[in-house]
Amino acid sequence: MSKSLMQSPLHHFDLAKQAVKPDGRHGVWAGELPLAGYIALRGDSATPAFVEAASSALGVPLPVTPCTLAQSGAVKVAWISPDEWLVVCPREKLGATIAALERALEGIRSQVVDNSGGYTQVLLTGANASDVLAHCTVYDIAHLDPGKVVGTTFGKSATLLHRQDRGFCLIFRRSFADYLWRFMVRAATPYGFGVALREDASAAERETA
Amino acid sequence: MFLLSCPHCGEKREEEEFAYGGEAFIARPADPETLDDEGWGDYLFKRKNTKGWHWEMWGHQTGCRKFFIVKRNTASHAIAGSWTLAEGRKAYDAEGGAA
Amino acid sequence: MKLSSHRLKIATARIDYDRPLSISFDGKSFPAFAGDTLASALLASGTRMLARSFKYGRPRGIIGAGPEEPNALVQLEQGPQTVPNLKATQVEVYSGLTARRTTGWPSLGVDAKSLGGRFSRFMPAGFYYKTFKYPAALWPRYEHIIRHAAGYGSAPVENDPDIYDHMHHHVQVLVVGGGASGLVAALTAGQAGLRVLLLDEQNELGGWLLSQPNANIGGKTAPAWLKAAIDELKSLPNVRILTRTSAFALHDMNMIQAAQSLQDNLPLAHRSTDQPRQRLHRIRADRVILASGAIERPLVYGNNDLPGIFTASAMTTYLNRYGVACGHNVLLLTSNDHVYQGAIDMARAGIKVTLADTRADINATWEQRAAAAGIALYKGYGIAQAHGGRSVHSAQLAKLDARDNRVTGSGPLISCDAIGSSGGLSPTVHLFCHDGGRPHWDEALLAYVAPALGREKAGIYVVGAACGEFGLASSLQQSRGVSNKAVASLGKAEVATALDFGSDEPAVTPARRIFRVPDGKKEGYGAKAFVDYQNDVAVTDIQLAVRENYKSIEHIKRYTALGFGTDQGKLSNVNGFAIAADALGQHISEVGTTTYRPAYSPVTFGTLAGAHEGDTFEPKRYTAMHASHVARGALFEPVGQWLRPWYFPKAREDMHAAVRRECLATRRSVGMMDASTLGKIDIRGKDVREFLNRVYANAWTNLAPGKCRYGLMLDENGMVFDDGVTSCISDNHFVMTTTTGGAARVMTWLEKWHQTEWPDLDVYLTSVTDHWATAAVVGPNSRKVLQKVCSDIDLSSDAFKFMDWRAGTVAGVPARVFRISFSGELAFEVNVDATHGHHVWEALMEAGREFDITPYGTETMHVLRAEKGFIIVGQDTDGSMTPFDLDMGWAVGMKKPYSFIGKRSFKRSDTARSDRKQLVGLLTDDPAEVLREGAQIIEQADFKPPAKMLGHVTSSYHSPELGRSIAMAVVRDGIARKSPDGQKAGRDIVYAWAGGRAVRAKIVPYVFVDPKGERQNV
Repeated sequence: MSKSLMQSPLHHFDLAKQAVKPDGRHGVWAGELPLAGYIALRGDSATPAFVEAASSALGVPLPVTPCTLAQSGAVKVAWISPDEWLVVCPREKLGATIAALERALEGIRSQVVDNSGGYTQVLLTGANASDVLAHCTVYDIAHLDPGKVVGTTFGKSATLLHRQDRGFCLIFRRSFADYLWRFMVRAATPYGFGVALREDASAAERETA
Repeated sequence: MFLLSCPHCGEKREEEEFAYGGEAFIARPADPETLDDEGWGDYLFKRKNTKGWHWEMWGHQTGCRKFFIVKRNTASHAIAGSWTLAEGRKAYDAEGGAA
Repeated sequence: MKLSSHRLKIATARIDYDRPLSISFDGKSFPAFAGDTLASALLASGTRMLARSFKYGRPRGIIGAGPEEPNALVQLEQGPQTVPNLKATQVEVYSGLTARRTTGWPSLGVDAKSLGGRFSRFMPAGFYYKTFKYPAALWPRYEHIIRHAAGYGSAPVENDPDIYDHMHHHVQVLVVGGGASGLVAALTAGQAGLRVLLLDEQNELGGWLLSQPNANIGGKTAPAWLKAAIDELKSLPNVRILTRTSAFALHDMNMIQAAQSLQDNLPLAHRSTDQPRQRLHRIRADRVILASGAIERPLVYGNNDLPGIFTASAMTTYLNRYGVACGHNVLLLTSNDHVYQGAIDMARAGIKVTLADTRADINATWEQRAAAAGIALYKGYGIAQAHGGRSVHSAQLAKLDARDNRVTGSGPLISCDAIGSSGGLSPTVHLFCHDGGRPHWDEALLAYVAPALGREKAGIYVVGAACGEFGLASSLQQSRGVSNKAVASLGKAEVATALDFGSDEPAVTPARRIFRVPDGKKEGYGAKAFVDYQNDVAVTDIQLAVRENYKSIEHIKRYTALGFGTDQGKLSNVNGFAIAADALGQHISEVGTTTYRPAYSPVTFGTLAGAHEGDTFEPKRYTAMHASHVARGALFEPVGQWLRPWYFPKAREDMHAAVRRECLATRRSVGMMDASTLGKIDIRGKDVREFLNRVYANAWTNLAPGKCRYGLMLDENGMVFDDGVTSCISDNHFVMTTTTGGAARVMTWLEKWHQTEWPDLDVYLTSVTDHWATAAVVGPNSRKVLQKVCSDIDLSSDAFKFMDWRAGTVAGVPARVFRISFSGELAFEVNVDATHGHHVWEALMEAGREFDITPYGTETMHVLRAEKGFIIVGQDTDGSMTPFDLDMGWAVGMKKPYSFIGKRSFKRSDTARSDRKQLVGLLTDDPAEVLREGAQIIEQADFKPPAKMLGHVTSSYHSPELGRSIAMAVVRDGIARKSPDGQKAGRDIVYAWAGGRAVRAKIVPYVFVDPKGERQNV
């Protein structure tokens, strides 16, 4: 399966064309981290067998503390609820990760679902990134420590939110992507807004990979 | 515009993240087929409509998507606490099933 | 430079004498200085009358200097940028500002209503209610004329060119009000290391201190103290300050809303289109310290509404803050000490000042200072009546009894060009009261005050004048103490730094308890004395309301209009309560106050809307194939926030022609529809079949992997609330589809049942709506199209039957293909990872080219399904239809052991009735007649109203396949009516009534095309 046949939910904005290397000219920079693999993982945090099996299959200890994020290499595991996680991995690892999870969780009450078509991520950076979030979400960004992930509002939509690479990573649903991007750009414009080059936007991802 | 404490996420969050889930502890009758119309009608339609302390459910829509129990004063919007479904049931029973 | 007639050079004024500019009011040019308000600039040129009153058309001028202003409402700017009903006292001037009056019709000089004013005796409270009551039909015409005559500005008709936004804050301490006590509060919390936000509605911090530069605090002059305090606040990184920001509402758990003006003070040409004009702040605060100050209320006396009559504090503000003399020969009237410093400032600035104090005993220090400043002092006098026309020119004083509010003798006639009065201070308690707090009457202060710690439990504290601390030193001391309590409540150490709040203010001499100044005449026989200027409420109106038996202050308010309008009674309420109390023979504390509701001051719609407008008004959801639809000329319709292709018109086609072409192409060859918007839920676990058995009406125990089944979902009342196809992926794994609009509702519904009632069932649910993009390939040639791009699935009729699904590869990417049909034709729904959605859609379009594959939208989908009698939940159902009402008993598994959701309700007497409204087909006699959806079904064309309504048309279209109209309807006892017995009795003939016309129609089975269902099985 070639990435050339794929389109991210923000494809129509042709962000690559507008993108430049972030500098001090603007208060806010954003770029998409497109076409990652997303896996919904369900199971009971209180069942050690499940937690151990999932952790070993993912190569990351499954975060069981509420609102925390575990990361190892290019794999990110976000706690959603006591029985739900969102696994984000490079597309190239998607099939193998799903297979590993299904193998490890054989016979254990759980659910592993490929949801890769359903999400995308945006990395928000710059001096005013947190101001933009204050316009867009009701969550108190001061409480968003590194390693924490929360699901909250974004305008009249919703997002997962965590700190990444001296900025913030937003993970949200495909069908709302157009709205979220427009709403974010609108909030960012008064501070000066630039589309960040994909290389820079995904620097963190590459570094950790 | 109040704050609700989600017992799963362990944080107080803005009301916008939640959706109201109706009066709590309206248990489905164990055997609906043997229940008379009045009993079934009560389960379907009768609600306390309390002015004062009210046990109710909320769902953390943008967060963990879990339903949980809140004891809220419908007149003052004061909130006495929030619990998971199971813990809320215990707290409710400890008060004798009603406040 | 030559200053205008009423402009003075005041060293401490907050205007910039080096930055003169020009503004325009009512077409005339006025000089102004940077830092002026529109009101101060107009007063500097001696402007008096700039409005006509609401009811009587009386000449009115500026009274106040802030949000309390009732009269000086202006229309700012023109065209799309115009803003109506701004208070001139709050409009900051900028170069080129253009404003107009909002009242006075046909002109300010000649007001139609002033004719009425001469007969005002005949226009008492309730005049409009009483006079224009009959005939009711004429009220709209009366209203039009009255409203026009009353004035008030007009809303812009063009789109607003400005942008607005919202911002959320979470702070430990919010301080509302940046006057002296608010500054101390913010400093205290800031020095304690708390996250602090300080709001002030004015363009700079300082509050009343800006009007009182000659006061001193701890040995410093007010300006010096202010500068030091502000500098220190700004040096604290944990303190954020927002000026021009009005906190207008306080909601549950200390959520405060505030409107900030960001660009209104800039010349139009200097405003940035990238920056918001105004911003709504939504502030969640652990602790709120209200330092909202107080507003001086005027005294009520005859003709107290003449232009040139102000509150005394407004005159002081105009002098000290704006360098404006409200008059050159000023008469002041007071019941208290507050006016003295201002009076002395005026006299020292060269204004001739006469001061009438209603009290016989006054503070000796003030008396000495007043005398030293050359003020003529009349002790124990009130104003009986002011004289003037379009400007005040004199006032008649009257000697008052030392104790009772009655006239004991006459006084001199004082010539003056301006009058200021003070009846005491009214604390600004609005925010304190918005979510349930109540102020209490303080008889010593003669004010409704918010108790400083009255809402400590809720985290709300009140400091300074808002809680009745009217003295400068005492309010600072009190603010420090109360703020430290707030600090301590957050677990921080109290700030102990010693501060010198000492001041040279003399001790306070008690105020006189007086609201209405007597004129020696029976009420109603002297000059009209106004309580509420904006609504023309006089003392007599309140007394009349009481005589007419209105006893609650809330009713008196509504009968007289006391306290309504853009000023919300900031000057008038307490006087009104006191006068009502007198008339009722009660104490003012028994009368109470009216309810304080948000907003404290008007907020623009733009600010409330923020970024929720235009293309970010609400989420628009798009499928992965959206660009393909746009490229093919689709028109779109919103369905549950999704934008779905509606139809794809070709050149010059209207909807009817396009839909006809799309329908026929699909039934004759092949069409394609984007079905990505359907809700999809992945369900896994060993109890998944049991779960489905409980939430669906159908049975799921025996559905084999590779098979699909249509299901009806009911609510517990037995009514259909969603439907869709659910497929068995493997023994413990199913995928459910829901309606487009019902996706989120169904997901929440299922989760709720699982979490609350059946947590033991081994099943997990995950929404995969956004993951799958779905192309429905529909029509007799659909297999041939799919075969061209799919080689690893045997698509033959025997190997891949109707209601089967297969996994395979389509156009080179993994896919799930479902052989299901919403049209009755052979059809395949191709599901792929949405990142491939666009690619697969285009590949299918390319593969279908030789068959003239035709993309179609929701309108054609609706026709195709209606031809087959397939329901749309929410169109053919409305929450009151059971499966049996829909004649879909085949989709109910009554033998399932678990009493599935809704089953028990079938036995309820009303649900079990045989003559419920039931879904049937309708055919009109005239095949060209398409019934209106929503048309009422009635028995007879001729009837005497009210007709018995039997039901209504739910779906109605022209069927291209049949070349005639078809319709679905819910009709009482419809199933029996269309039976052979019903036909024999003629009960199958009904009429559909809409638009004043009854159309005859015959009840028929609702499957119009291919009733045996053969086409989908080929």
